[in-house]
Amino acid sequence: MSVAQAQPQSPLELIFAAQTFVPLLSGALFWPAQNALLVADLHLEKMSSFAKSRQFFPPYDTKATLAKLERDLSETGATRVFSLGDSFHRDEGTTTLQIHDRALIAEFVAHYDWVWIAGNHDPSAHDLGGHCCDELSMDGLMLSHEPDANIAQQIAGHLHPGARIRINGRSTKRPCFVFDHDRLIMPSYGVSTGNLNVLKPAFRPVMNKENMRVFAIGRDQIYPVATKYLVNG
Amino acid sequence: MTKTTRNHSDSFQPSPDLFSQSWGMPAVVRDWFLARHWTPRPHQLDMLEADRAGKSALLIAPTGAGKTLSGFLPSICELANTPHEGLHTLYISPLKALAVDVARNLVNPIEEMGLDVRVETRTGDTPSSRRQRQRFDPPSILMTTPEQLALMLSHAEAPKLFGTLRRVVLDELHALALSKRGDLLSLGLARLGTMCPDLKVSALSATVAHPEILRDWIAAPCPARDVAMVSQTGGASPELSILASDDRVPWAGHSAQYAVPELLDIIQQNGTSLLFVNTRSQAEMLFQSLWELNEDSLPIALHHGSLDVEQRRKVEAAMVAGKLRAVVCTSTLDLGIDWGDVDLVMQIGAPKGSSRLLQRIGRANHRLDEPSRAILVPANRFEVLECEAAVDAAEEGAQDSEDPQPGGLDVLAQHVLGMACSAPLDADAQFDETIRAWPYRDLTRELFDRVLEFVATGGYALKAYERYARLRKTADGTWRISHPKIAQQYRLNVGTIVEEPMLKVRLVRSKAHKRGATTGPIGRGGRMLGEMEEYFLSQLMPGDTFLFGGEIVAFEAIRDNEAYVSRSYHNNPKIPSYMGGKFPLSTYLAERVRGTLADPTSWKKLPDQVREWLSLQRDVSKLPGKESLLVETFPKADKYFIVCYPFEGRLAHQTLGMLLTRRLERDRAKPLGFVASEYALAIWCALDVGQMFKSGRLSLDELFSEDMLGDDLEDWLDESSLMRRTFRNCAIISGLIERRHPGKEKTGRQMTMSSDLIYNVLYEHEPDHILMQATRRDAARGLLDIERLGHCLKRIKRHIIHQNLDRISPLAVPVMLEIGKEPIFGEGRESVLVEAAEELMREAAGE
Repeated sequence: MSVAQAQPQSPLELIFAAQTFVPLLSGALFWPAQNALLVADLHLEKMSSFAKSRQFFPPYDTKATLAKLERDLSETGATRVFSLGDSFHRDEGTTTLQIHDRALIAEFVAHYDWVWIAGNHDPSAHDLGGHCCDELSMDGLMLSHEPDANIAQQIAGHLHPGARIRINGRSTKRPCFVFDHDRLIMPSYGVSTGNLNVLKPAFRPVMNKENMRVFAIGRDQIYPVATKYLVNG
Repeated sequence: MTKTTRNHSDSFQPSPDLFSQSWGMPAVVRDWFLARHWTPRPHQLDMLEADRAGKSALLIAPTGAGKTLSGFLPSICELANTPHEGLHTLYISPLKALAVDVARNLVNPIEEMGLDVRVETRTGDTPSSRRQRQRFDPPSILMTTPEQLALMLSHAEAPKLFGTLRRVVLDELHALALSKRGDLLSLGLARLGTMCPDLKVSALSATVAHPEILRDWIAAPCPARDVAMVSQTGGASPELSILASDDRVPWAGHSAQYAVPELLDIIQQNGTSLLFVNTRSQAEMLFQSLWELNEDSLPIALHHGSLDVEQRRKVEAAMVAGKLRAVVCTSTLDLGIDWGDVDLVMQIGAPKGSSRLLQRIGRANHRLDEPSRAILVPANRFEVLECEAAVDAAEEGAQDSEDPQPGGLDVLAQHVLGMACSAPLDADAQFDETIRAWPYRDLTRELFDRVLEFVATGGYALKAYERYARLRKTADGTWRISHPKIAQQYRLNVGTIVEEPMLKVRLVRSKAHKRGATTGPIGRGGRMLGEMEEYFLSQLMPGDTFLFGGEIVAFEAIRDNEAYVSRSYHNNPKIPSYMGGKFPLSTYLAERVRGTLADPTSWKKLPDQVREWLSLQRDVSKLPGKESLLVETFPKADKYFIVCYPFEGRLAHQTLGMLLTRRLERDRAKPLGFVASEYALAIWCALDVGQMFKSGRLSLDELFSEDMLGDDLEDWLDESSLMRRTFRNCAIISGLIERRHPGKEKTGRQMTMSSDLIYNVLYEHEPDHILMQATRRDAARGLLDIERLGHCLKRIKRHIIHQNLDRISPLAVPVMLEIGKEPIFGEGRESVLVEAAEELMREAAGE
């Protein structure tokens, strides 16, 4: 079935906590005021983490995720990177990196102002370069891994938000940015990650359904979606 | 003995010279025949003869011809002559129920002959203690399935267990051979052939178009042995008719609703009827409407694969006991299990293939000398044509043919691991053995080695997983499993049947869908209705109604691995669960249908209303030709339609629709959508495409040119869900992804990885990986529709006939009625997002 192709247009802006952001198709969020790129849940070395149980998944996800990052960095011209936790699928991931992936990360942390925020999958600090911290306060915003109802003006990851949109009996499921007045939850960035419907109970304590907004990631552009079209599943 | 114990006497003809010959049987067996005044049938004697000549044998016979006895007779004679230590005969059937049924029917005669021959079954349902015992103390005759054979072969004591084996009996081989299960079985046979070079194979098959393929298939594992072809012909030809309804046959649809009163009458007038439909949801719908009108409360039951096992067993028991008048069923009843006397088979909706029809007809009446009776009930007007073609084909005994495909690499991977579990694996010997399996006869050593690498460490270009290897090459050059756990993992993963993820469906008390009443507990602990595909259930909203287990139920919620539904009092289910035909129209029938359409002199056999419909088409437009493609264009409701009639089945048409809309878009004809039926494809555009064709701005020949199957297809395939599903199956069969075992999901002992994500990563970074190769090879098998589309495009090249009309044509009506009923396919379904976003923009603008 044919679909009217979205014409290239000026990038969609996302206003949160009085700051202007640009959500990217990759799932990253560009913050022009800080010239920073925000990413969440890279889950590097996820595929290889299954090898010890002798499930041999293609060990290319780290390379693919880093390549996405490289592209975003060069396209936005960002000079800072905030990685909002679960950057590695597990702490040991920092030791299983393949040589070329390790080299690229070394290059990244040398060129950019890089912050690794700790996540539940990768709670420990590591020595790959850049700064490791639990969370970071930046220009009135709190950057953390897990969304926390007690923190206002928070940008977090952890939940891998996704939206199922149904119109006239047809539906599609996409990763999405979801935010209300207090909190913005980023989609997961790693190529080996799936997503969780924003209508699931996990979002309830941290996302106010009344003023929740969803920016779904389409093929060629980001779509702000009316919440009445969101369905479970 | 034969499949119908009750009808023994019907399977054997009394002979005038009863005592004149021994038929080459041991006395005890001959006497058993004589005591019953029976004479062996010629094909049964032929099987014995083949055995005496040291040959394997392939018996081609219709259902109910004493086929099973024929397979076992040589073994019984041999066992009666000479006592045998250990396993003598291995019987393999595609269904475990069939194995159990045949065992039951074999035990009686063996006891009556007073032979000391132990017959046992081994299926997934056999208690593990008995399975364990069977490995060390096997019966003389063991009835089992291809999966159980694979399991037995993976144990270290396999050579001892099978070393004494003399014969393998393969039942219903036509249902197995050309599938992945057949691949697995062929590899198992090749291993048996290595372990016991004297092995003979007796294969039993229904009538097929190319028996020589089956002959080669069974000959391959024991190349030194000839195969005798035995056929059992004759018997009364079936009595076939098409329901001539007083009501109008509808233009479209699949439920044959119009015929329900007549169906009830027919059920009333006959003893026991089987009503075959093509999909589960059709079965549900038909069952529901029969009961709505069933004023006499005739015992009519429902049988399909999604129903709870216990419910199915109840129906089967009632059927055997002769308590039922009719069963509405799907292909779960296709194969030759004996459910008792069936007087009449009705096929509701078109049979889609002549072979399937013939096998289904075979279910009516196991007595060879009486004709089987079957009535075909077309659900719409095109199906009238298809039913006519099927009846003609069945009367001629014409069969659909299926092209054999090379053996699956995923199946080979599974088998290689199993062989390494049983004993250290020598790659050279394993390769030699593998190419003795018929589907793998052309396998290259290079490909085999890559499969071995895949099993050992995942087969990636990067040697990332050496330290975790499943198989390691040892100093003596053999490959050994690196840990006993690997054998356990293998055994959990055996088999080639990958089910759609299913959820159990449980009936609970409704929490009432009142406005605002969104909370409150759902009643628990209701009756289990059966299982249903997760993807269907996950799209439902609470309160949505659909048909299941013969009743209309309302969806409540999904909890853990169960879907909760409540009883609904709505008359019409809101969500049609009809997901399209399960079987595409066979090429063979399609050709016949096209032939009928193109030849008005053949219309006299058609019902009046159908003939009038076709005549009208001839008058206002054109008739599709036998070898050409008719393309009609016409405007309707400010859209412009292109309707074409390839008759290649819904799947092929969907693919064609997808590819054509891509091209039309590139040609700026602004296509808006399409819908496909079994017979036709309709595409609608915002621009007057009819005019564009006429003026030459668009060329039909170019639009339909074969090269759409090149790049356009590749692009689309790689993104398509078909490819992803094929990959998922390959990943599971090959052991890359562990199978989901019911009940194990909750233990969370191992997070599983989504196969879609793995596919994406491989596609991007190692597109030539062995599993991607397996997926593409499978596409040739699983996506036969694409091959068909290729043949179709080749056939119609430069034979496209354009008819520009000012309004819809009679022939176009059925497919146009499908619009809105069928889910419309979108590329990545972006339109959903566009609409949702536009709506938001309008809201924002205060409209």
